Amino acid sequence: MFALLEEAGFTRVRSTIVPGFAFRKESTRDAAEGYGVKAVLFTAQKPAT
Amino acid sequence: MTDIALLDADEQAPLEGVIKGEVLRMYQEVAEHPEGEFHFYHGRQAAELFGYEREWLDRAPPGAVASFAGVGNPHLRSRLHAGETVLDLGSGAGLDSIIAAWQVGPTGRVVGVDLNPTMCRKAEAHAAASGVRMACHEGRMEDIPLPDASVDIVISNGVINLSFRKRTVIRELFRVLKPGGRLSITDIVSAKQLSQSIVNDPKLWAS
Repeated sequence: MFALLEEAGFTRVRSTIVPGFAFRKESTRDAAEGYGVKAVLFTAQKPAT
Repeated sequence: MTDIALLDADEQAPLEGVIKGEVLRMYQEVAEHPEGEFHFYHGRQAAELFGYEREWLDRAPPGAVASFAGVGNPHLRSRLHAGETVLDLGSGAGLDSIIAAWQVGPTGRVVGVDLNPTMCRKAEAHAAASGVRMACHEGRMEDIPLPDASVDIVISNGVINLSFRKRTVIRELFRVLKPGGRLSITDIVSAKQLSQSIVNDPKLWAS
């Protein structure tokens, strides 16, 4: 996502992992951990000119 | 969570349609039966976990809070100002739109876009019950039904990961933002390419 935002032309792209995010079901949670799945807060800006 | 480079175009189209149907079904289920059990935490429990202010959750209609299915809190960095125009991409039952509307005030405007027209009407009703207005448009995030350079900020919560065409979605966000506009979105990302079995499983993709 970070790369896609930059590729589209966004600047000041920032990302922060969302603390506390987890899937509720244990089986989904285990699979997600294996793939490094995280929730992330992204901010970015479209250039003014 | 990933681009579907592993599939060719002939395989992609029908799978995308099936997944769209599963996404519609799952999130309508959350809205209509929030007491149910899902793969993800939802409702007030999830919102409090992500740092939503209790005052917001007490003030918003119970139905909007109970159906909350976000993955984080885009308001933490949104820095909304009075008079701004906000796009809530994938507005669902409307909780994030309502919170944004409180912040931009009566001179501002909140526009929701959701795949599900029933959810749009529900979000508008929840907004009206909160004393604010939002206009929700049925539409796809890959083809946002708004003009170029028409919004000051985009917020979104756990939605873009559901698309097969994330590059297109991001380009659409860039298109609808005014010059100098910004976005604050929370979403799910994976560090590794998902297996084909997950990509091909609509229920897993939708969750």
